[in-house]
Amino acid sequence: MAEQVVFYIFSALVLLSAFMVVVLKNQVRAIFLFFVTLFSMAGLFVFTLADFVAITQVVVYVGGVLVLMIFTFLLSNRDILNNPDATRVSAAGIHHLPGMVVAGLFFAVLIAVVLQSNPEQIEWIKNADKSTLKPTDNTIHYLGINLMTRYLVPFEVVSLLLMLALIGAAHLARKERKI
Amino acid sequence: MLAAFLPLLTFFISLFVPVKPAGKGAAAIFNIGLSLILSGALFLKVWNQQSFHFRIEWVTIGDFTLYTGILLNNLSVLMMLLVSGIALLVHVYSTKYMQGDPYLHRYWAYLGLFCFAMLGLVIADNLLLMYMAWELVGFSSYLLIGFWFTRHTAVLANKKAFIVNRIGDLGFLIGIMITLTQFHTLDLTELFGSNGLVANAVVKGGMWQSQAGMMPAGWLTAAGIAFFLGAVAKSAQFPLHTWLPDAMEGPTSVSSLIHAATMVAAGVFLLARIYPLFGDDVLLIIAITGAFTAFMAATIALVQNDIKRILAFSTISQLGFMMLAMGTGAQAAGLFHLVTHAFFKCLLFLAAGAVIHEMAHVKDKQGIAFDPQDIRLMGGLRKRMPVTFATMVIASLALTGLPLMSGYLSKDSILINAFEWAEGHSGLAKLIPYSALLTSWLTAFYISRLIFKVFFGELRLEQELLVHVHIHEAPSAMKYVLVVLAVFCFFPAFSLNPFLFEDAWILKGFPVTDSMTRVNLFHTIIPLAVNLIAMLLIFIAWLWYGKQQRKPDFSASGLFRFAEGQWYIDQFYTNVLVSGFVSVSRLVYRFDRVVVDGLVNIFARAAKALSVMAAWTDRNIVDRIVNGAAYLTGQGGRFFGHFQTGRLQHYFVTMLLVVLAFFIYKYYSGTI
Amino acid sequence: MIPLSHFMIISAALFCIGLYAVLSKRSAIMILIGIEFMLNAAILNFVAFSRYDKFAAGGQTFALFAIVLAAAAVAVALAIILNVYGYYKTIDPTQIDQLRD
Repeated sequence: MAEQVVFYIFSALVLLSAFMVVVLKNQVRAIFLFFVTLFSMAGLFVFTLADFVAITQVVVYVGGVLVLMIFTFLLSNRDILNNPDATRVSAAGIHHLPGMVVAGLFFAVLIAVVLQSNPEQIEWIKNADKSTLKPTDNTIHYLGINLMTRYLVPFEVVSLLLMLALIGAAHLARKERKI
Repeated sequence: MLAAFLPLLTFFISLFVPVKPAGKGAAAIFNIGLSLILSGALFLKVWNQQSFHFRIEWVTIGDFTLYTGILLNNLSVLMMLLVSGIALLVHVYSTKYMQGDPYLHRYWAYLGLFCFAMLGLVIADNLLLMYMAWELVGFSSYLLIGFWFTRHTAVLANKKAFIVNRIGDLGFLIGIMITLTQFHTLDLTELFGSNGLVANAVVKGGMWQSQAGMMPAGWLTAAGIAFFLGAVAKSAQFPLHTWLPDAMEGPTSVSSLIHAATMVAAGVFLLARIYPLFGDDVLLIIAITGAFTAFMAATIALVQNDIKRILAFSTISQLGFMMLAMGTGAQAAGLFHLVTHAFFKCLLFLAAGAVIHEMAHVKDKQGIAFDPQDIRLMGGLRKRMPVTFATMVIASLALTGLPLMSGYLSKDSILINAFEWAEGHSGLAKLIPYSALLTSWLTAFYISRLIFKVFFGELRLEQELLVHVHIHEAPSAMKYVLVVLAVFCFFPAFSLNPFLFEDAWILKGFPVTDSMTRVNLFHTIIPLAVNLIAMLLIFIAWLWYGKQQRKPDFSASGLFRFAEGQWYIDQFYTNVLVSGFVSVSRLVYRFDRVVVDGLVNIFARAAKALSVMAAWTDRNIVDRIVNGAAYLTGQGGRFFGHFQTGRLQHYFVTMLLVVLAFFIYKYYSGTI
Repeated sequence: MIPLSHFMIISAALFCIGLYAVLSKRSAIMILIGIEFMLNAAILNFVAFSRYDKFAAGGQTFALFAIVLAAAAVAVALAIILNVYGYYKTIDPTQIDQLRD
């Protein structure tokens, strides 16, 4: 019971903060709320018994992405330091309508699909008694074994791609314009 | 396998390893030499013995599995040996010929890429893989033609070659699709093996039936023609031959390797690989195309003055011979000619390259502007470049098909086969062997004209410009390559009996696809006729061009100009096709102007009349209607203009709306 | 045990919030945040289903890959945003409309 309550608190936190991120006028606050969303997402990951993924989420997103975002924000909005209210844009307006309509329609479609799909009845999930994770299981053990055996090639490819992306980012962000 | 990938290694080495060009050249030669050795080993192992087929699963789409792998049989090992051998010689030659070029590393890279593609093409075991290599061959040829990309003509030429080849590639692709639909496999052994699907497929009651499927018989012909179209473009046959002469803008060593010996032979190779697919009518088309191309190109070669262009048209003509052989069922003879032709045409080009090299040196040293490829300025080089002269004469004799030469064996086998084939046919087919005979005489004449003009008499360059130039023999790397190639122009490389082509070992490596009766008469008369008249023509050419005797002046006659204008096929393309498109668009424009605008004007006039009429009754209402219409149109235009906002988010919204609409449609049609 | 469909509904909601941000925000950074929301929604589904696949752990592995790649994508995207800012002096996508006719 307590598990359920905590889960719904976390999901409410995720959705509420995400919603606030989107509707807030003040962008600095929005970015800090984004941080809250990511943290609560990590909490949700724990409920799916993916503790390692949750920790990675906190480390990578909060430690890396968020800091980068704040830096970029400050670099690209220098005037905000002088006048924090300058970036306010009107929240409601005709230009938001298409976005709302499309997002709402998508939500309707997705909910319809989710309600129809009935995931508990899928064959491999129904027969997954033995391979269902238990709270006492050590997920890092399985993850490590899989990363080094079954998913070794994707792992290497991803690491290569990561390096490329970092070099590319460094190249793009450097100062001089000479090519 | 390894043999094919070594040149690719060359490509990467030349592209990415920062060493001196000389080192890259050495690495490239080493790689291709290793390829040659491996090919030779494979050749000894596979030739006339067990063919080797290795494949792995590639992709699975639904219940269709595509395999990929390599297939080595007589045909592919022969081609491998040929390609790697000639490529090695050309690599060695290029070390000197391309010396000092600032972009040498690029040259080695392209050459490596080409060798990889060509070797991949010959060992591919399914049509799709072959198609990929085919495209790669075309692409590397494009790169090499435009190697000197600062020259405007080179850029035009490589663009042309690429576009013309695309037409053929389309044909190849259509052929692959038809084959896939009919047989549900692309594997060459399954399709064209001795007991393969194609051999077992029959045309019955207007339907083309095989174990895997059935479709109207017309598709069989369509598939044959589609594949043939691919071969036509790659092998520069009429009407898609126009790219080859222009391709001579590339370095001569490239012309020699790609546009004389190997790549253009890919078309013939393709025909040989998928030979069982062709029905009688397609074969007839192939034979006619080949014969016509051979004749046409030979006539054009008679009057050209650019040494490389003469050789280019000669190549087209000889490829026509090979096509003719394919069409007349003499598959083995066609391949035989392919091999012998590869050697002597490669030699001709390389020797011409040596001459051009020297002429270009003179040009650079003297600082005078002239075309180093113009044979009218050459002459008397016999004494100054004796080795080049000797090897070129040997190659020319082989091209002419005189006895003791390799060309004699292969050409006569084609001619005799053509005559025997024509025995069983009637109508237009009867003409084919005679046109081929005529073409081979023309060949004798144009090549001896070339030889006599370049090597005999006096150096006309000196006479015309009144300077003394110093021309000497080609560098030794080039010289030895020429000598090696010249050795392969003699008969013992192919047959121990210099007069009877049937003893050639290449012919024995391929199944005799037809059972035409051997007509002994042809076997004696044709070689005799060919050679006697060829000798006569060579003598005439010697009188006219060698001795500089008075010769009849043809240059005013219509035929001469027709041939000099290359039968005006290029002009036809420019004037009729290109300007056709232009005039069609102009027509549409005029239609727009006259009819559409006219209609609009009529409406406008009607509206005006109406408003005049209405003004007579009630000026105000009508004015408002007209204004309202104008306003609506303006608003409509502005409304549609809004869709072109340039804002990414708007485009994204539109895209998502389309996706949503698709979802909703699918949902209500009950598919989800 | 939380039923799977609850995870799916939460992720659907988060996805649509992200979509809305991408579609109507006036700042490239906010659009990037929207993209991160959408990615996180997808990752949530991955890990939720991965619970029934202990030994292969495909969902969790690919969730890890997705997180790491998202971080890389953010690095590149932010670098691009900085460049765009340097060029246009704004990061409002509605003002960068050189694609218009």
